[in-house]
Amino acid sequence: MSKMWVTMGPQHPFSHGLWTLKVQVDGEVIQDAEPVIGYLHRGWEKECENRTYPQIIPMADRLCYSASMTWSHLYCKVAEEAMEIEVPERAQYIRVIADEICRIQSHLMWLAAMGTDLGNLTIFLWALREREWFLDLNVKLCGQRLTTNFPRIGGVRNDMPYLFERDLMRVVDLFEKRLWDIIALTDDNAIFMSRMQGVGHVTRKEAANLGLTGPSMRGCGVNFDVRRDDPYMVYDELDWEVAVCDDGDSYGRYKVRIEEMFQSCEIIRQAVAKMPDGPTRVKAPRNVPEGTHVARLEDPRGESLMYLVSDGTDRPYRLKVRSPIFVNVSASKRLVQGGRMADVPAIMGTIDMCLGETDR
Amino acid sequence: MAPISNWVTFANPMDNPLYQFGAVYNLPYDVGYKIWQLLGGLIAWLLDVLVPGNGVSLWLVGNAVSNALALVLMIIVVFAVCFIVNLTMIWIERKVLGRLMDRRATRIGPLGYLQCLGDGLKTFLKEHIVPDKADTKGYMWAVSIIIGSSVLVAGMIPLSYRFFLADYGSGLLIIFGLFSIAPFMILVAGWSQNNKYALLGGMRAAAQMISYEVPMLVVFASVALMAGSFNINEIVGYQNDNVWFIVPQIIGFVVFMIAATAEAERIPFDLPEAEAELVEGWQTEYGGMKWGLIMLSDYFRGYVACALGAIMFLGGWTLPFVDDSFLPEIVFLLKVILLFFIMVWTRGTLCRIRTDQILNIGWKILLPLAVLNLFVVVVLKVGGLV
Amino acid sequence: MAMKYLDKYPKNNSRHLWVLKSFYTTFKQIIKTTRHRPVTIMYPYEKEWIPDYYRGRPGLVFDKCVGCGICERICPTTCIEMVEVDDAKAGKVVRPQVNVGRCMMCGYCAEYCPTKAMITTPEYELAAYTREGLIFDPYQLAYEGHNEEMQVHMHEHLLSDLQKGITDNPVNASLVDRPALDDAKCIGCSRCAKECPVGAVEMIVVGENDKGKPIKRPKFDEAKCIACEKCVMICPKDALALKEVL
Repeated sequence: MSKMWVTMGPQHPFSHGLWTLKVQVDGEVIQDAEPVIGYLHRGWEKECENRTYPQIIPMADRLCYSASMTWSHLYCKVAEEAMEIEVPERAQYIRVIADEICRIQSHLMWLAAMGTDLGNLTIFLWALREREWFLDLNVKLCGQRLTTNFPRIGGVRNDMPYLFERDLMRVVDLFEKRLWDIIALTDDNAIFMSRMQGVGHVTRKEAANLGLTGPSMRGCGVNFDVRRDDPYMVYDELDWEVAVCDDGDSYGRYKVRIEEMFQSCEIIRQAVAKMPDGPTRVKAPRNVPEGTHVARLEDPRGESLMYLVSDGTDRPYRLKVRSPIFVNVSASKRLVQGGRMADVPAIMGTIDMCLGETDR
Repeated sequence: MAPISNWVTFANPMDNPLYQFGAVYNLPYDVGYKIWQLLGGLIAWLLDVLVPGNGVSLWLVGNAVSNALALVLMIIVVFAVCFIVNLTMIWIERKVLGRLMDRRATRIGPLGYLQCLGDGLKTFLKEHIVPDKADTKGYMWAVSIIIGSSVLVAGMIPLSYRFFLADYGSGLLIIFGLFSIAPFMILVAGWSQNNKYALLGGMRAAAQMISYEVPMLVVFASVALMAGSFNINEIVGYQNDNVWFIVPQIIGFVVFMIAATAEAERIPFDLPEAEAELVEGWQTEYGGMKWGLIMLSDYFRGYVACALGAIMFLGGWTLPFVDDSFLPEIVFLLKVILLFFIMVWTRGTLCRIRTDQILNIGWKILLPLAVLNLFVVVVLKVGGLV
Repeated sequence: MAMKYLDKYPKNNSRHLWVLKSFYTTFKQIIKTTRHRPVTIMYPYEKEWIPDYYRGRPGLVFDKCVGCGICERICPTTCIEMVEVDDAKAGKVVRPQVNVGRCMMCGYCAEYCPTKAMITTPEYELAAYTREGLIFDPYQLAYEGHNEEMQVHMHEHLLSDLQKGITDNPVNASLVDRPALDDAKCIGCSRCAKECPVGAVEMIVVGENDKGKPIKRPKFDEAKCIACEKCVMICPKDALALKEVL
């Protein structure tokens, strides 16, 4: 068989959304690849220019359905910087808890998708079963499962409801036990290990050059986490570790994400213990003074960034989103080259694709 | 006018001089014979009432016609049993997988048993579509042969010493030969669909077949060597007289189960239809009832794999220390279902493995193990221990 | 703080069992779900528990609504439209009508409603046969058995309060923001008084002009005002502006 181009996508089981990976295969071995994105372009940034500042928060939820909390948090963060508002301390703790709930459920969604990518539906359903608890926590916290619309400019939508801490502690304790059950299907499974180890290998230097972010970057040994190195909210007051793994292959990226779930549980536990009483929301002005502002935060998928240009009115002049997946998917050529056709889901699965925020 | 009892006699089929199976009683033939005696006898009686003394009535209940139609009805009976066993296995697979994944499984009918029939009806109602650029002959013939050979080989499996289509000396070899027709046709099907995913799936099927037929054949050889025959009846009888082959040939059993899983294209070896990277693999362009029958034939092949395992290693329809005259067919099917449960359990637990790994496992692990098993058998045989 | 998984994993002995631990785990699950029910919820027959404050479709408490139109303006998807309806008690009134097909269930209408007439109902099964069926008029928006939990309250604090150390004075934009009059621009047309949905604007005579006609100026009743900005928007000479209190 001579070399042929196979167009995987835009509707393809491995792609987790609408994007295309054109691969040139020589038999089963991939010689060349080219990612094509843009099938899900919704004009998000332009839409935001026609909306007032509070109206953009529910829009930011729609950037990525499984990281809605962090995206709306990031938007609120950049708007607060522009308005020079200090968020009350209790609201900061609640935001940290909400972000970590979002991180865990996003990673569980990734784990589920990883299971189907490797042909095991059990991992998929078990991970989604555990994820349901965190979605229930979201319902209890703010009344919706996925599109939370919870952070507000200057705080959060509402205080934690009655007995929410108790539910949170129960879920976190139980989840830490149940996650080992899923790990028994993945790590303790020689076939899963053989699929993940050694594929999509990227060295530390290459990862820096490609601009990988988030768990994909930390899985290559780059010790960087916005939560620790550019602390926002109250992350610097909590005692936790950045998960870093030197492997650089799919398995390294997998390990980093699993460890991050455990660390998130720990962050939630400490945040609940340390939470002060007090107000949760500051009244935000309607108009934003002129200026340009940048804010970044650690998304479940990596370092996400928003750039806001305000012209003194109640609507942004420009709102630019830098999505972590946009840079990670650009690295897909380097990642899949030299691998096999069957490695493509195993590699691109660990990138944790989300096309809503990539194409915007 | 003769009374009806003269026409519907329910005679012993073995009294028929044209009886095909020698001195062995054949249950499905008997059932077919009895059905024909009832149906044909009634027709003959009616004709005789209408036109007394005609020759057609006598011809209808005569030896030649009875034998021929009993054979046809016997095939239908064997297929019906096979089909019902298959539906049960699909039901078991869906139920066990559901329980394993902590979800409800099939819901239609009592305990969800009729879900497969509902799914079959749904696929049956779909449109018949042949891709424009596909090679129509290859496209249709390949899938026909895949389905046909799978059903044929499932029908060839004897359920007991009295429930069989044919009893012949080279039983295992014929079944094995028919069993490995389908992977060839998968290659043809993948080629003829004019689809890159299907082509890759077909190529993978070919690679997989080459690496799994060989250890499987070696295991067949060691079983036949130990029993001293390829005849299924004799293999089962030998195991009943001495010991189930799973005891001396535990390596062979493991190798056979792995190779049979690969042969039946079930997870972890369902590379030709790996839905993550190749959309549906070699079945990408098949739709409607063609696809439904392909899925059904997958289960027929899974049934054949489990049945061969039960025949070769678990003593077929016999039970040790127990009177085995008690419904041998049920005993055999229970063993088949036990093996199938292991296959389902494996499917729920493991991930799909990669193309190069499947070749590695086939050539570097399974083939040496199969040869080791053969060596053990030879030593035991030469040493006179078995 | 130590790593829980990355530290434990290298010592994990079950890795040497090839795939046996996975088989053991799944078998445990089969036994468990055979003895008990699986976790699946059989959706149309049994439903998941949701709290009263679940953000389903918007609801309206008709009698509390004053028709101020804040919900119409804050709605990010512009699915709310103020329509005139005939009410038995009050005659012709303006009330919100929601296109649920466009609604993104953000709950802003309930959150910003000054009288808490808009609520978030826990109703989420909204399928209809036609697109017109998805447009809920003010009477359809009513929700049987609404309670306090379905209201969304903004417990905002003023930044100035927090700087002074006052943390127990939650406010709301409709409680503190008030329209302010630029006296030089006002022509006394009294459109604001007609437009005000709560009757908080009263035109009072402040003097006479040189032709002998009375000069009218709006006077705002601070207790009644809900900061809906209707007067600000209707003002033909931009004499009114909303003064934000921060």
